Amino acid sequence: MSIAIRALSKRFGPFTALDNIDLDIQAGELVALLGPSGCGKTTLLRIIAGLENADAGQIQFNGEETAHRPVRERKVGFVFQHYALFQHMTVFENVAFGLRVRPRARRPGEAQIRAKVEELLGLIQLDWLADRYPSQLSGGQRQRIALARALAVEPQVLLLDEPFGALDTKVRKELRRWLRRLHDELHMTSVFVTHDQEEALEVADRIVVMNCGQIEQIGSPQEVYDAPATPFVYQFLGHINLFHGRAHSGWVRLGELRVQTPEYQNAESASATAYVRPHDIDLLREPEDGDTTIAAIVSRVHILGSLVRLELRQQADDELAEVEMTRDRYAADPLQVGDVVFAKPRQLRVFLNDGHSPELPVWLGDGDGI
Amino acid sequence: MQFRLKQRSVLPGFNLALGYTLLYMGLIVLIPLSAAFIKTTDLSWTEFWAIVTTPRVLASYQLTFGASFIAAMINTSAGLIIAWVLVRYSFPGKRLVDAMVDLPFALPTAVAGIALTALYAGNGWIGGVLALIGIKIAFTPLGVIVALVFISMPFVIRTVQPVLEDLEAEVEEAAACLGATRWQTFRWIIFPALRPALLTGFTLAFARCIGEYGSVIFIAGNLPMVSEITPLLIVTKLEQYDYRGATAIAVVMLVISFMLLLLINLLQWWSRRRHAA
Repeated sequence: MSIAIRALSKRFGPFTALDNIDLDIQAGELVALLGPSGCGKTTLLRIIAGLENADAGQIQFNGEETAHRPVRERKVGFVFQHYALFQHMTVFENVAFGLRVRPRARRPGEAQIRAKVEELLGLIQLDWLADRYPSQLSGGQRQRIALARALAVEPQVLLLDEPFGALDTKVRKELRRWLRRLHDELHMTSVFVTHDQEEALEVADRIVVMNCGQIEQIGSPQEVYDAPATPFVYQFLGHINLFHGRAHSGWVRLGELRVQTPEYQNAESASATAYVRPHDIDLLREPEDGDTTIAAIVSRVHILGSLVRLELRQQADDELAEVEMTRDRYAADPLQVGDVVFAKPRQLRVFLNDGHSPELPVWLGDGDGI
Repeated sequence: MQFRLKQRSVLPGFNLALGYTLLYMGLIVLIPLSAAFIKTTDLSWTEFWAIVTTPRVLASYQLTFGASFIAAMINTSAGLIIAWVLVRYSFPGKRLVDAMVDLPFALPTAVAGIALTALYAGNGWIGGVLALIGIKIAFTPLGVIVALVFISMPFVIRTVQPVLEDLEAEVEEAAACLGATRWQTFRWIIFPALRPALLTGFTLAFARCIGEYGSVIFIAGNLPMVSEITPLLIVTKLEQYDYRGATAIAVVMLVISFMLLLLINLLQWWSRRRHAA
């Protein structure tokens, strides 16, 4: 089932949770709503489910307006961050609940319920836990039971609110792969909320990056990572280095570096910031002609498994920058702390600091763990 | 092999704490109660049986336990609703209402009894209105129930409130997403979660009602065979210096109460075990 969201707004007192959101979700798609806490992603999900009412705007399921349909008639499966399992019921009864509360006319018989629940428990590979109570299960098992419970009513849409947020890293990684496989089997329209960029990049067909109640960018994981539309998306997805400078008639000067930026042909001495990914920087031993490098000193070397991360201190202004390279590449020229290098960005993106976008910090932390 | 009561534990002071508990229970509960049992041994079995099975005494058991059960049931349902309102909704004066819940505990029971009698008597505010449609409350068994409802009101509210506060709203939302109506959500999700607290509240209210004396004697009218409660019979016998008769009735009351409370506790234990932690 496709979902169309039109001009949706929601306020909580003076706080704007959602500001005029438009979004189309195709049938069978797995979409991630990604953003920092308080960006409105959970509110959007809850409005789609009908657990919250919008102040303005529309939500259409298959082109049909849903405002008048209460939660229980929307046929959405909702998975909560903290599972929300029924503690006093066994796993079996938890999964069977949605079938048992159907109006008598549509309620399946006991044998059918049993067959359906067993099928679902088989699907999540937990059929051996049918007689346990939720408190006897691990977090990962509980969340899979919650998912089976949501699937039991054959929903048209599956909504997951930070489904793996309360789990430890290892289980989280396992479960998100498992969710992706499950989605590929069931082809159900699914929307999941996360603040974990890695999770969104790995699982989703499309990512909707949100900030302050607005959508910053919609695109495939590769699009949002490789071509962020706004400075916010740049800083939120992955590590980033910032270089401050000025744009003037098609060129941007960032310290010693000079870059051609035809898109800012008309800029006149405008304040600008360049965004460079740590793995998009080459380190040279000698400067190049044509102002394409920045002189720096290696101030730290971290060896992180298959990657090597170097911290550089720019000679001109003492600002820090990060560079990542593979172990192999590092082995070819093992730089040491104190070495002078010349950093050459392979790829960078310049945004003008018009009065609207706030001044961003020089070095931004990684997105995970926010 | 050595018999060990003590289990290894990181918490110190097991011996001291257990000793204190036993001493305390002995001093406060066991010794006074066993005195009643010892006193009754002055009576022979036939004398004892004759005293505790006179029609007047049997009628008083029926009234005491019956009215207590009804009052506790009324307060269980009313208490659930009040606790629900106090937890789930916010309205002006909520704190005031919340504080008022405990008033029946603080008020001297005689004051409550006199006030209720004045209200429910045939010439009282409420009693006068009810008299018009032919309902008499004061000086009938109904009056006993009214007084018992009043004094045992806070128990269920106070036991259910914290449990209701801890109940996650998400669980109800999950039920709604699965297609449950509000009633089904209450019946299958909220009520089972509240059941142990409701049972505890009911037990406390019931026990309180069985022992109540002060407020009831004013409103009950104390007609033998009709509106006379067992505690009053005991006091009457004491006033006539019939100590053995008084303790005999007291012992029967104690045994019945203890068995009922034990039964409820077993029920509680069984329902907890079923929904193993």
